[in-house]
Amino acid sequence: MPKFLNLWGTHQFWVGFFNALGVGKIVFSSDTSEEQYRAYGKGRITMDSCFPVKALAGHMGELLYKDINLLFVPMIYSLPSFLRGHVMDTLSCTRVMMAVENIKAGFLKEGDEFAKSGIKLAVPFVPFAEPHILPKHLWEGLFPAMPDLTLEETKRAVEEGFKALEEFEKRIRQKSLEIIKWCVKNHKPALLVLARPYHMDPGIGHDIDAEFQPYGFPVLWYNYLPLEDWLLNWLFERDLRAGLIKSPLDISDVWTSSYSSNTNEIVWGAKFASKLPWITGVIRLSSYECGMDQPTFTPVQKIVESSGTLFFKFGELDETKPAGSVKIRVETIVYYLEKYSEEIIERKLKRLGSIPKELLD
Amino acid sequence: MRLILGIDVGSTTCKYVLTNQEGQVLDKAYERHNTKQAEKVLEFLRSLEEKGFTPGRDRVYITGSGGGFIGELIGARFVQEVVAVSTAVERLHPEVRFVSEIGGEDMKTVFIKEQEGKKNRQVFMQNVCAGGTGTFIEKCARKLGISSERLSQMGYEGYTLHRVSAKCGIFAEADVNSLVKAGVPTEEIMASLFEAVVYQNLAQLTKGNTPLPKVLLLGGPNLFFKGLQEAWRYHLRRLWKERGVGDFSREQIEDLVIVPENSLFYAALGCVFTALEEEGGLYVGKERLRWWVEEGQHEQKLKEGKAGLVSSADELQSFKRSYSYVVQNKVVPKRASRVVIGCDFGSTTAKAVCIDEEKNIVFSCYSLSKGNPIEDAKDLFRQIREYLGDGEVLSLGVTGYGKDLLKDVLGADVAIVETVAHATAGLHFFPDADCICDVGGVDVKIMLLRQGSVVDFRLNSQCSSGNGAFLQGVAERFGIPLSELADRAFSAKAMPNFTMGCGVFLQSDIVNQQRKGWQAEEILAGLCYVLPLNVWVYAGNINNLSQVGKKFILQGGTHRNLAVVKAQIDFIKSKVPDAEIYVHPYSGEAGAIGAALVALEHHQKHKRTRFRGFEAVEGLTYRATTSKETVCHWCPVNCQRSFIDVYLGEGKGRPWSKVPLQEGWVRLIVNNACPKGLVEDESELKAIKEQMERVKNEFPNISYFVQKEAFRTRQKVH
Repeated sequence: MPKFLNLWGTHQFWVGFFNALGVGKIVFSSDTSEEQYRAYGKGRITMDSCFPVKALAGHMGELLYKDINLLFVPMIYSLPSFLRGHVMDTLSCTRVMMAVENIKAGFLKEGDEFAKSGIKLAVPFVPFAEPHILPKHLWEGLFPAMPDLTLEETKRAVEEGFKALEEFEKRIRQKSLEIIKWCVKNHKPALLVLARPYHMDPGIGHDIDAEFQPYGFPVLWYNYLPLEDWLLNWLFERDLRAGLIKSPLDISDVWTSSYSSNTNEIVWGAKFASKLPWITGVIRLSSYECGMDQPTFTPVQKIVESSGTLFFKFGELDETKPAGSVKIRVETIVYYLEKYSEEIIERKLKRLGSIPKELLD
Repeated sequence: MRLILGIDVGSTTCKYVLTNQEGQVLDKAYERHNTKQAEKVLEFLRSLEEKGFTPGRDRVYITGSGGGFIGELIGARFVQEVVAVSTAVERLHPEVRFVSEIGGEDMKTVFIKEQEGKKNRQVFMQNVCAGGTGTFIEKCARKLGISSERLSQMGYEGYTLHRVSAKCGIFAEADVNSLVKAGVPTEEIMASLFEAVVYQNLAQLTKGNTPLPKVLLLGGPNLFFKGLQEAWRYHLRRLWKERGVGDFSREQIEDLVIVPENSLFYAALGCVFTALEEEGGLYVGKERLRWWVEEGQHEQKLKEGKAGLVSSADELQSFKRSYSYVVQNKVVPKRASRVVIGCDFGSTTAKAVCIDEEKNIVFSCYSLSKGNPIEDAKDLFRQIREYLGDGEVLSLGVTGYGKDLLKDVLGADVAIVETVAHATAGLHFFPDADCICDVGGVDVKIMLLRQGSVVDFRLNSQCSSGNGAFLQGVAERFGIPLSELADRAFSAKAMPNFTMGCGVFLQSDIVNQQRKGWQAEEILAGLCYVLPLNVWVYAGNINNLSQVGKKFILQGGTHRNLAVVKAQIDFIKSKVPDAEIYVHPYSGEAGAIGAALVALEHHQKHKRTRFRGFEAVEGLTYRATTSKETVCHWCPVNCQRSFIDVYLGEGKGRPWSKVPLQEGWVRLIVNNACPKGLVEDESELKAIKEQMERVKNEFPNISYFVQKEAFRTRQKVH
């Protein structure tokens, strides 16, 4: 399986799913890197300015050289999201979904390279947001490659997949809560990253967030924030009472066309950041010419800054890491974080009720 | 007898050859046109007519970048440059398989292949970058103070060679600078430049083909510079041996790599040879060209141009009243007994300011960088000591190059990044500013401010478009001193339209506009006018200026040019009508002032300083190493760095280094072109990474857990 795009965010679902199917060995491609892209992706990239999409060619090319007999590249149409039920929909970016078809073509242009490597290709349509039809689509996608597979088996495996993903997310959200508790205890700030899930891939997000750790800033990610009721109720209490939102996960006060899953989560992350006192700075990552991100830039910035929280954007990320300018930017940002964090924490605390006891133990 | 004239109108020179019907050369000339191409051709034609070149009887063929439009005026037939050169080569040297022509602003290679008795040519050209061309060699030689006579005689073989990047003129200049600073003899530097040019030609303009003998070298630089010829011969000999073409002796090589007598005239000769094969190109006389030179070009010019930078003398006066302070604004020293020092170590100058506790600037000084920050610092502190006498230093702040190490070396209280220094200084003079636009000699920096912080910035130092050096270079070519640039630009009543974009394209656009008859001052005005567009849109990538804010600060050396300031103000106001635009009063010292202001904050908070004192700074011992071992290998530019090691009595040293450092010493790395070069090599990167890993466990990152665990293929058993 290529480690690409929305595999970041659904990873453990697939591990759980295939383990339940009793697949012998699951092989993931390595993280995106310039070397991978050059060695395996060259000449296979169709016109697309989105680097995360283009990078898929490198992943698929790399896997052709691995000891595998099935290449599984899901066309993810909609995503599982903790915001389901609070938003209009949780769709994937269309360009991201179609990336699979787009890049696949590059491997068929001059003869079927999958067949040449003795590898079967499965490109199923994956509507995560509709669990009742999900098994059918997966089964249809896999059936040609795995003729013994039954729909019943697929159904069970999907359940296992969801369970694995949920467990994983729970564990990571717990880690986020631990970081926040550490901040409370030590009266220290943390940073929050707002990005797309695949910016966690070191070849896509270029580990920019990690540059802040040496300066003493732990880093939280918007898609793995703790969701405990007591915490969310504390943070969103005022807005709930004022009737601005129906639940702490409601974003309709700031974002009405809530169809895109990643975008919805980014917007909610911005709201969370503007409330939680110990998040004093937000780092926004965005890839070159990302059409999905464009309309969110100003609202997200305004939401974050409305509370005095610092907001910094690293936009137009592409294939190579702009190391020099990142260093200067990080140093610049760190200076202001160090200068203002204490003040920001105090100011934000004043707007909230007393700190819940759960945060203090 | 019908005569045939071949004219080559190039980017820097005009050439012609006059022949009889057999192609025998009767007359020829090669002259610089100083951007007045049409005038030069007219001059040629006048003297040629006196010598018997007759309209209505004789024929004329023309080539070169300015050939097309002049040709139309005199009835000439146009021949494309590369075609002209190849035609001449094939006729005069049927045995030649590879041609290199290096011109003033371009270079080409031609591969001539014979297949089944038919010859075909493959041409590669590069004219988008000054690297590797004649201008590039001359510019570096001028910088080194080498006369053109001496340059032509300077050799290549037998000299120690150093890495000079020929890929880009800007990088090359930096490399030459650091070689000079490292005390490398000029002969070796020039030999290295020749090496770089040939290397660049072979690397960029062969595209996988192997140049085969015989080889023909054409164009001014190949003819005039002995060292360049030597470099070609050396490299081709080695290449041919490596690729199994043949193992030739030095004597043989002389015959296989030739610089023909008429090296400069091949394009013109090609015109003549083309004319010999066909009819046409009847010379109609010089009347229409004369009309165009005297009248036509001005009419065309007025149709295309726009009004000048200022529309009236009143407008200019009132503008100058409010902004002329930017040209000469120096810090006037004032006595103070307790000061805070701010230092800014730049790549070309190191600057320091002293401020008192009320934030008044009481002293400033600078030192032209000697490529060694320790020497620069000593120089600065000597000047400060002389000013301060037995006064007290409350605190010290540093910014710029190597700030973190200098912090320890000098005992500074704060080391801050340049952006913060500039923003702090800017906000001190102009509170609530939204944007600082710093245009220096070689870079453009745009800092966007919100809530008193730098929230975003754009830095462009890779492209010469929009920076001051470009404007200065053009003025230099026109022979206009920098101090007069602004007034000359203001004097233009009209100016040509330039298109925003890459500096190199602008360069050819300039030639084009000159051709239309635009004068130096009008072109300069036009360039000043287009500069803001290049700064904001092209280099800064900011398309919507109104989103940036309302209060703008202009700073950096280029904004000492009032014509640029005027253009900036008009540009910004056209996008943001209610903008307030200020020029930083101490533009050059902004970084040092910012460092001092942050240091003052530190003093107010902590009431103590780590400053080692003037005595200690003066007494710093160091040693500098510039060698093979200090070359940076992070990218193909291969900067020749220097290591400056300072004894502090603290620090772990660098036992793993190729230039080992004992305990108690610290190392500053200088002469690197980019921040990457501040890390010595793989071993240091490893050491840094290990250190990072430790810190990362202490301050965790959620993405690290996901990266590590999300793709585990076996699930954890709980």
